[in-house]
Amino acid sequence: MNEALATGIFVFTLFFLLGSGVWIGLALLGVAFVGMELFTTRPVGDAMITAIWSGSSGWSLTALPLFIWMGEILYRTRLSEDMFRGLAPWMSPLPGGLLHTNVVGSTIFAAVSGSSAATLTTVGKMSIPELTKRGYPEFMIFGTLVGSATLGLMIPPSLTLIVYGVTINESISKLFMAGILPGITLAIMFMAYVAAWSYFKPHQVPPAEPKMSLGQRIKESRFLIPVILLIGVVIGSIYTGTATATESAAFGVVGAMTLAIFQGSLTKATFIQSLMGATRTSCMIALILAGAAFLALAMGFTGLPSLAAEFIAGLELSPLTLILALMVFYIILGCFLDGISSVVLTMAVVEPMVRQAGIDLLWFGIFIVVVVEMAQITPPIGFNLFVLQGMTKKSIGYIARCAFPMFLIMIVMVGILITFPELATYLPENMRQRPG
Amino acid sequence: MNTQTQTTLEEAKHPIRLNGPARMLRTLLNGLYKGCGAIAALFLLVLLFIIIGQMVARWLGVQFPGSANYAGYCMAAASFFALAYTLNNNAHIRVTLFLSKMSGAARHLGDLWCLGIACFLSSYLAFYACKNVYISHMIHDISQGQDAMPLWIPQVPVAIGSVVFAIALLDHFIRTLLFKDDTFAEDHHVEGEEF
Repeated sequence: MNEALATGIFVFTLFFLLGSGVWIGLALLGVAFVGMELFTTRPVGDAMITAIWSGSSGWSLTALPLFIWMGEILYRTRLSEDMFRGLAPWMSPLPGGLLHTNVVGSTIFAAVSGSSAATLTTVGKMSIPELTKRGYPEFMIFGTLVGSATLGLMIPPSLTLIVYGVTINESISKLFMAGILPGITLAIMFMAYVAAWSYFKPHQVPPAEPKMSLGQRIKESRFLIPVILLIGVVIGSIYTGTATATESAAFGVVGAMTLAIFQGSLTKATFIQSLMGATRTSCMIALILAGAAFLALAMGFTGLPSLAAEFIAGLELSPLTLILALMVFYIILGCFLDGISSVVLTMAVVEPMVRQAGIDLLWFGIFIVVVVEMAQITPPIGFNLFVLQGMTKKSIGYIARCAFPMFLIMIVMVGILITFPELATYLPENMRQRPG
Repeated sequence: MNTQTQTTLEEAKHPIRLNGPARMLRTLLNGLYKGCGAIAALFLLVLLFIIIGQMVARWLGVQFPGSANYAGYCMAAASFFALAYTLNNNAHIRVTLFLSKMSGAARHLGDLWCLGIACFLSSYLAFYACKNVYISHMIHDISQGQDAMPLWIPQVPVAIGSVVFAIALLDHFIRTLLFKDDTFAEDHHVEGEEF
């Protein structure tokens, strides 16, 4: 069969299986199966199971269920109440007032959970009713919430970064470190947006909260402080090289359970719920990764990755043009797929291109996460939009409009990341690392 | 499973009467999926203990050879054992953009198409996962790591999990074909689901 036709069939199968609603992990398996049958005479099934076995039993993947579990435990504690109560006294003097609790709360929860949907529900459960009661405009409440919840994808532990690291064989610890500064920068930009809003629309800002003394403030946030310490230990142990990513995750699980015990919210029921939740979510991602492992093998036989790399090299694009083209590509892809799926689906083809262009893969990981974050808040498939819709019963269109300013801020963030690549690469270059 | 002679298809909105052997089969299958989910959860728990053991061993200056490999095996076992359970909780993600726009007969055909393809692929996977165990056993394949584990042992859970997954998909296919299956409805979501 002629090459071009075979490639055509392969790409068509990819779109058709994914688009028709076959479960993503299985769809990837099916695409890889078709690719192998078209392009090789090797025994397909045996090659498949070898790729899947080595892809599913790798050490680096073990961080994934543990970080998910840690988030699941904290999600079931009183964290969302404590978060609002603890942050409010510190945020109210800032211009823009309590809206900052959305941003800072999301940043903190992002540092214990790898998922932006969990971040959104935990922070929003408390902040939406409280902020509405105080008279903050809905447009700002929803916008800042849905936007800053995406920080869950970037600030370690980030599930998307674990999946990216496993896919391209990059150190997860390094990727985590790379995410910190850009994550904080983005949070600061969101806060600047809130401050700017209060400056330009002073009539929309509700009256200030009563002042509190320092002692009172500390008393209000006494439940929040252990969580912040836990974050410090988890991230600090990775940075100083005391623990690998998986070990710090195990540490996080134990720490989260201890916190829950002290709060009295760890019962037999919540323990089982959190464990089963972690089992489901990590199984869901593992199936996608299994399919992706086989697809990566099949992609190698189709010759598409090298073809794409040569094509890009032939165009003699500057790295900047390539990056911008990829940004548009991923935003479009994000309209149909979630972040993790878009990463695993494309990396087999995109990785050689990016290497060819001489782009640092750690940096690229952070870039891809920011872009995937944008896709989370753009219709038609923005997962965060759906989650917030479920919580507030407002229309997707309205929530998407609230989130649009945050989308623009993220585009600025990509610009900053391109101008100052050190933002992502400084910490990983300076950390101490334990092998493995 | 609410009364003695009547059972519901999981949490289906329209309970369907099943009697005799069919009802027993239903109970057996639901038990199988849940049981495998529980085993998967246990593997995650073991994974946590292995990692903690590895850290403690390092602080004490003791060797824990092959801990990373054991952790990897637990990860694989947990992932595959949970496949069917995750499917029944509608937690495997898919692109429902077009599927959710369909209704009536078109939707029914779409569901059958997805389940049919999934049945084929999961059976294919299950077959080779079993064959893999057999071959690893036959050629005495030993792990390259410090654990020097005969590889067929950790590959058994992968094989079992894939077989149960294939059974679960076939189960859903038959149910969709004959009755109505609400497991994958858009509003069927489990509380606390991450994605």
